[in-house]
Amino acid sequence: MDKIRVLLIDDEPSFTRMLKLSLELRGRFEVRVENNGAYGLKVAQDFLPDIILLDVIMPDVDGGEIASTIRADRVLKDTPIVFLTAGVSKETTRAKGNVIGGQKYLAKPATVEEIIRCIETELRKPGGVAPGSSAVPKS
Amino acid sequence: MKGAGAEQKDVAAGTQNLNGSGPDAEVRSRLDAVWELANDALFAVSLDGIIVAWNRAAERIYGYPAQTIIGKPLSLLVPEDRRHELETTITSIARGATIEHFETIRLRSDGVPIDVSLSIAPTRDEKGRVTSALAVARDITAIKQALRQAEVSSVKLSEREAMLRRALLALRKSLEETKSTQLHLVQAAKLESIGRLAAGVAHEVKNPLAVILFAIDYLAETVQRPDANMVGALNDAREAVLRADSVIRGLLEFSTATELTVSKEDVNSLLQKALLLVRHALTKSHIFVVEEFASDLPPVMLDRTKIEQVFVNLMINAVDAMPSGGTLIVRSRREQLKEPGPDVGYRRSDPFRVGQTVIVIEIEDTGTGIDEATRSRLFDPFFTTKPPGRGTGLGLAVCKPIVALHGGTIRIGNREGGGGARATVIFQSIRP
Repeated sequence: MDKIRVLLIDDEPSFTRMLKLSLELRGRFEVRVENNGAYGLKVAQDFLPDIILLDVIMPDVDGGEIASTIRADRVLKDTPIVFLTAGVSKETTRAKGNVIGGQKYLAKPATVEEIIRCIETELRKPGGVAPGSSAVPKS
Repeated sequence: MKGAGAEQKDVAAGTQNLNGSGPDAEVRSRLDAVWELANDALFAVSLDGIIVAWNRAAERIYGYPAQTIIGKPLSLLVPEDRRHELETTITSIARGATIEHFETIRLRSDGVPIDVSLSIAPTRDEKGRVTSALAVARDITAIKQALRQAEVSSVKLSEREAMLRRALLALRKSLEETKSTQLHLVQAAKLESIGRLAAGVAHEVKNPLAVILFAIDYLAETVQRPDANMVGALNDAREAVLRADSVIRGLLEFSTATELTVSKEDVNSLLQKALLLVRHALTKSHIFVVEEFASDLPPVMLDRTKIEQVFVNLMINAVDAMPSGGTLIVRSRREQLKEPGPDVGYRRSDPFRVGQTVIVIEIEDTGTGIDEATRSRLFDPFFTTKPPGRGTGLGLAVCKPIVALHGGTIRIGNREGGGGARATVIFQSIRP
């Protein structure tokens, strides 16, 4: 069975390194990390992830802008995006079904299990891409 | 010199057949001088009301020359509505009475009324019979006008004083409101500062916390043969991270308690939802729940999420106050405020008005209650009586601004008769 391809865009190297390690340790995930938000779209076009975990506040370009460019991309437009944010409390995100302004959110710090549950939920949704089978053939 | 009315001086002097010599002549001379020089009007009137003598001052005051007025009725000088005075006066004089300083109104020759002070005495013949009346009239128009002016000024002064008193009251009220607004602004500014600080701290601290949490999970998954100490250490580390995170969360909630998304809500269903959220803690602490919900509650404009948070915080506090079990009583009712109280009054700064209908929510525990020192600090941020690791000290600090933003109040005290604490939250109801 193909692994779930996760693109992790966050400017915090220690965060992305530990999350990548933790997810890949489960054996079901293939994680690509990008610490520079400006390269987010390019890496996504190259990696063709099943899901994107995206930091909200980054120094060069914020998560919202990156999400907009991804949504505008013909190939990537249906790829689920989950925002990871340190600026919203867990209670707030939970109270609104982890959705604020129509976007899926996860408040930091989330446990690896919480992140995995969120990934699986997003990929099961109608329109979600089957794990390991991106919308277009990988080249 | 013999002036106008010289003939009448005989009447004034009350003497007859004087030949101009001796002591009588001297008296007469003095009376002539008085008649001529008096500043007040002097005139004589026969008992049938005809003017028979008239001095210079009378000419000046009444405007009638002696030659035109002598022989005319006195009623010429008396306004229509005061004619009755004439008869009374003449009757009194005819009986030999004297009238002193009788203030009244008379008419000048041009019809202009003047204020006069009249003193009238009878004059008698050699047999002592009253033959006429001698009147002294002082023009007091200026004095009366001044008095009337003073009266008007006094009334105006009283009105001004009343106006000033009202203005002073309004000023005091306004000052009170300004102070209250200022306090709110200071509080809002403080919250805003804490908000900015919390957002900054949250962002800077939550990332490292997330890294530590991942590292703990990673270690827990990868360490091949963990000894008992390592398992304990990793659990402690995980709990420490979650506790640090709860402090940050509390700070964020405290600082974001400034915006509301309100809608018509049923308080009972929010209480039930909150009870559902704390059911695990209730079961764990062997706490029995008593629900006393009024069935006739009107809806209330509330931010559902934030008020649920308030109820949960109050219930968690109640649960923590009963570590060995007890009873949690959750009550709701509609109440009409009948008399002024701590939050009930007539000032604009009072959250509730007498006569207003409110929704009262009470959350009671059967713990040990709250001492005075604790009570005064209950809503202070980071103040807690819970053991280390159990509370952030932000639960109630978050509740207060949330409830206040809804125009409500929150009070915490002990139950009547002791044996536990009671949190009372009051909201304004809206008309169904």
